[in-house]
Amino acid sequence: MIYLGLIALVTLAANSATRLRVIAVAFVGIAAVASVIAATAATGPQVAVSAVAGLAAAGILFVAARDNTYGEDPGWRLWLGTFTAAIVTPLAYASFRTVAGEPATLPLFQDGSGVVVEVAGTWLLSSGVAIMLTARSAVRMSLAALVLVTGVQLLARLAPEPRLATTLALAWLEVVAALAGAFLIVNERAVRDA
Amino acid sequence: MTVASPAIFLALAACAAFALRKRVNAVAWLSLSAIVIAFTAVSVTPVDTVARLLDVDLRVSALGRLAGLIILATVAMLIVDVLLDEPAYNFFPTALMVGAVALAVLVVGSPIVIFALLVVGLLVPVGTFTFQVHRNRSVEAAVRHFSFVVLGGSLGLGALAVAASLPKDQPATTVVLLVVLLFVSFALMLAAIPFHTHAALLAGEAPASALALYFGVLVPVTFIAFAEILAGSGLLPAIVQVSKVQDLLLAIGLTSAFGGALLAAGANDLRRLVVYAVISNLGSALVGIATLSGPGIIGGIATALVTGACATQQLLAAGTLERRAAGDRPNVTHAPLAAGVFIAGGIAMIGAPPLVTFPGHFFVDLIAYAVSGVAGSALVASAFLLLIAQLRAGVQLFAGSPEGWRIEPRPVAGILGAVIFLALLAGGITPDVFLRPIAEFADEFLKALRPL
Repeated sequence: MIYLGLIALVTLAANSATRLRVIAVAFVGIAAVASVIAATAATGPQVAVSAVAGLAAAGILFVAARDNTYGEDPGWRLWLGTFTAAIVTPLAYASFRTVAGEPATLPLFQDGSGVVVEVAGTWLLSSGVAIMLTARSAVRMSLAALVLVTGVQLLARLAPEPRLATTLALAWLEVVAALAGAFLIVNERAVRDA
Repeated sequence: MTVASPAIFLALAACAAFALRKRVNAVAWLSLSAIVIAFTAVSVTPVDTVARLLDVDLRVSALGRLAGLIILATVAMLIVDVLLDEPAYNFFPTALMVGAVALAVLVVGSPIVIFALLVVGLLVPVGTFTFQVHRNRSVEAAVRHFSFVVLGGSLGLGALAVAASLPKDQPATTVVLLVVLLFVSFALMLAAIPFHTHAALLAGEAPASALALYFGVLVPVTFIAFAEILAGSGLLPAIVQVSKVQDLLLAIGLTSAFGGALLAAGANDLRRLVVYAVISNLGSALVGIATLSGPGIIGGIATALVTGACATQQLLAAGTLERRAAGDRPNVTHAPLAAGVFIAGGIAMIGAPPLVTFPGHFFVDLIAYAVSGVAGSALVASAFLLLIAQLRAGVQLFAGSPEGWRIEPRPVAGILGAVIFLALLAGGITPDVFLRPIAEFADEFLKALRPL
C-alpha cells in the first residue's frame, strides 16, 4: 500500500513538472520506487540492471534539456493523466487479478503475491498512455515513453522465464527510448529556436 | 554462440560505424563488409541449430534464415545506394543496428524478448528520419513515429507479460482484452489503417533511404515477429475458441488492405503511393494470418517479405526521380532507368505473375474467399485499386515524348532496382525455394494453434 502511494506521488510529480530537468529528476524517483517494488519479485542483480537503466535514461533527458528553463507545461493534461490512471488501474486489477480466484489483499509493505507489482505496473502503463496521448511536444512524449517502459518492466517481473534476458532487453529499450526522445527534443528545440 | 554471432557482430559493427560515422566512405565500406560477413554466417548456419544465451533459447528456423538473408541483402543494397547516390553519415550505423536487431528477432525464442528487441529496432531509425529540419516537417514525423512505436510497443509488451503471468483457463473476456491489446499494438507499429497517420507524415518528410529501411526491412520483420509472438505466446488456442478475436484481426486486415489501396489510388506523389501500397499489402497479409489456416499463413508471410523488397525498389527509385527532378514533377526524362524500375516494382507490388509476389497474394485471396465472400471480394478490389494507382503513377511518369530519354549518370537506384526485380523473377520461377521455409513455419504455427 505504502509503495503504491509512493509510485502515485512520484508519477504525479513527474507529470506536473513544467521543466525537462525537473521531469528527469522526478523520473529518478519513479525508477527508484519501481525498483523497490520490483525487489519482491526479482533478484538483486535484475533490480540493479533496471535501476541503472532508469538512472541512465533520466541522465540522458537531463543532459538533453541543456538548460533549466526548457520544458512543456502540462496544464489540464496533468489531471487527465492522473484520473485516467486512477480509473484504469482498478478496472485492470479487477479484470486480471480476480480471475485467479484467489483472495487478494494489499499488504502494507511486503508483497509476496505480486499484487503491488501488478497494480503499480498497470498504474504506470495507464499514466504513460494518458501522458503520451495528450503530449504536445517531444518533452512529455519522452516522459511518457519512460513511464510506459517502467510499467512494462514491473509487469514483466511476474512473467516466468526468461527473467534475465527480459530484464536486459527492457533495460536497453528504456535507454534507447531515452536516447531517441533526447534526439527528438534537441531537434524540436532547434526548429522552435530558428 | 553460432546462432547469435551474426547479430552480435552487426551490433558491434554498428558501434564502430557510429564512432567513425563522419568518415562516410570508410564507414560505408565497413558497413558493407560487416553485412557480407553476417550474410555468410547466416547462410552457413544449418537450420534447427539451437543455442542458449543468458537464459533465453535461440534457434535458427528455416523462415528465420530465409528472412535474415533477404533482410541483410536489402540492407546491403540500401548501404550501396546511400554511399553512391545520397551520402548521409548517420545512415550506416542505423542500418547495421537495424540488421542486428532483425537477426536477433528472428532467432530468439521468448515472445517478450522478441517484442522488446523489435521495439528497440523500430526506435533506432528515428535519427535517420530527420534531415534539414528547418525546411520540412521531418522532426514532427519522427516524433509521431516515436510516439506510435512506444505506445504500441508498451501496450503489446504489457499484454504479453500479463498473459504469461496469469493462470491457465482464463475467462473469454480476459483473453479477448489481452489479444485486442496485442493486435492494436501491432496495428500501431505496422501503421495499419486507422493507425497510419505517422506513416503518412513520414512518407512526405523523411529521406527515401530511411523510408526504405523502415518499410523495406523493419515492417516485414515486425510482421514476422507478430506471427512468431502469436505462435509462442500461448494465446492461440484461446483465440481459436473466441471467434470475435479472429473477426477483429480479419477486420483490421481488411480495413488496412482496402483503405491502403484507396489512399494509394489517390496519392499525389510517388513515395506516398509506395507507402500506402505497403500498408494495403500488409492488410492482406494480416487477413492471411487471421484465417488461421496453412495457406493463409504462408501467403501472409510471403506477401509481407516480398512487399519489403518491392518497397525498397520503388522507394529508392522514387527518391532518385525526386532528387533529379529538383522540385519539378518527377518524369521519366529525369532518370529513365529509375522510372523503369519504379514501374517494375509496381508490377511486383500488386502480385502479378510470374514474380514471386504472386503466390502469396494468390493464397491469401483464395483462402479469404473460403472464409467469406466479402473478405475475398474486398481483397480483389484492393488489388484492382493498387493496379489503378500504379498505372496512374506510370502514366504520369512516362508522359511526354521519348526523345529526351537518356540513361541517367550514376544509375544506382536503377541498377539496384533491376537486381531486386531479377531476384523476384528468379523466385517466381522457383517458388519452392521461397515458400518451403515459410510452410515449415506455418506447420509450427498450426501446431501451436491446437496443442495436444
